[in-house]
Amino acid sequence: MADQMYFEDVKEGQELAPIKISPDKSQLVKFAAGSGDFNPLHFDEKFPMLKAMGLSDNIVHGRFKYAQVGRLVFAFAGYKGRVKKFGVNYRGMDMPNKEITVGGVVTAKRQEGGENLVDLDVWAQDVDGKKTTPGTATVALPSKG
Amino acid sequence: MADEFEITDEMRAQFGVDGTPWTYEVTTTSVRMYARGIGSDDPIHYDVDFAKSQGFRSIVAPLGYIGTPVFLPGKNDPTFGFPRREGGPRLNIPFKGLLDGGTETEYLDVICAGDVLEETSHLADLKLRDGPRGKMLFVTNEAVYTDKATGKVVAKQKLTSIHM
Amino acid sequence: MTQVYFEDVAEGAEIAQLKKNCSTQQLVLWAAGSGDFYQIHYDKDFAKGTGLPGLIVHGALKNAFLGQLLHDWIGERGTLRKFGCAYRGMDYPAQDILCRGVVKKKYSDGGKHFVELDVWTENPEGKKTSPGTALVTLPSKS
Repeated sequence: MADQMYFEDVKEGQELAPIKISPDKSQLVKFAAGSGDFNPLHFDEKFPMLKAMGLSDNIVHGRFKYAQVGRLVFAFAGYKGRVKKFGVNYRGMDMPNKEITVGGVVTAKRQEGGENLVDLDVWAQDVDGKKTTPGTATVALPSKG
Repeated sequence: MADEFEITDEMRAQFGVDGTPWTYEVTTTSVRMYARGIGSDDPIHYDVDFAKSQGFRSIVAPLGYIGTPVFLPGKNDPTFGFPRREGGPRLNIPFKGLLDGGTETEYLDVICAGDVLEETSHLADLKLRDGPRGKMLFVTNEAVYTDKATGKVVAKQKLTSIHM
Repeated sequence: MTQVYFEDVAEGAEIAQLKKNCSTQQLVLWAAGSGDFYQIHYDKDFAKGTGLPGLIVHGALKNAFLGQLLHDWIGERGTLRKFGCAYRGMDYPAQDILCRGVVKKKYSDGGKHFVELDVWTENPEGKKTSPGTALVTLPSKS
């Protein structure tokens, strides 16, 4: 975990340190185990639904990408920050063993209800740079003051 | 038929109607498994002593993880694990295809191992759009998670599924 | 489920069989439950890379199936004292695994009523892929 980020340190337009991950089948099976989503779409290449969907390989769980966005936002907030809200839309599929880059940028900072809030645009993007999982997040950060 | 599908007042009347509550458990083992599942090596999700030294009750649930529903054979979906609860909204959706559309979580507190949560879920929104292959129905359900020990709402999560 | 009693059991008699047929999903559920995430059980290419013909069923899962066979047989009033098996052959997903047991010996000792069994899993060719033994106690009618 990097050093704690404080509200005063944050600037609009600031980019978050990206996370890169190329989930293999073992990673997706562990995500199935952790999440309880055992849809064979994500690990069984013979699963009939794949063909019906016109796919030749298993696909990464949308919720796995959501969780990667969660890692990014959690790391940004640090242990003293609190994530108030984070959400994404699933706009495109990602395949196993292909690199997914999770990124974010500060869009606004504001004080509300005694909290120091930072709004973020967040996303997961594929190797072609397509944002398959765009979203937003709001984090409360501690203040130095 | 799917092409003639329209959202009716009868469907809209189901907005906000909660189904039977279900228990979700957040355990040290389940938090560690979820953290491994997302490939995190942050000790805050694994090491109880470390998490306590940082001011948390126990290891912290990774963002997006709000516990595992208690699984009872015949009462939970065998693939997804979610409860097939009695009561609550019932939609007869004529579309065959199903995609995950989006997830949004609002946190009112940090979720840690040891938490036992009561989840209630209701239909929050329905939207019909025209897609490239015909009509698409966006169904948004909202789940509210209450800490059984304190009675406080700790998180709300909206799940949107796309039927087409 | 009706309770089986010590008096009902005859040496040489077979107990009720249990038939299993594992989907890949079942193997992944077992990986989740057991914590054994070795890829030969769900990643076909990985399995082939290690020289296997394809995905194989976890040995420990077959051991657990034999445990289920015995648990189902002894009923609520029986106790499972000991059971184990060796892994002698591979089983594959989407193929029947027949779990069987035969009573080898019955005896009473110190007021307890013991039954020894041979147990095994069997593949569709009739080969015993996981042979083992078990020791259980059963309630007596008297």
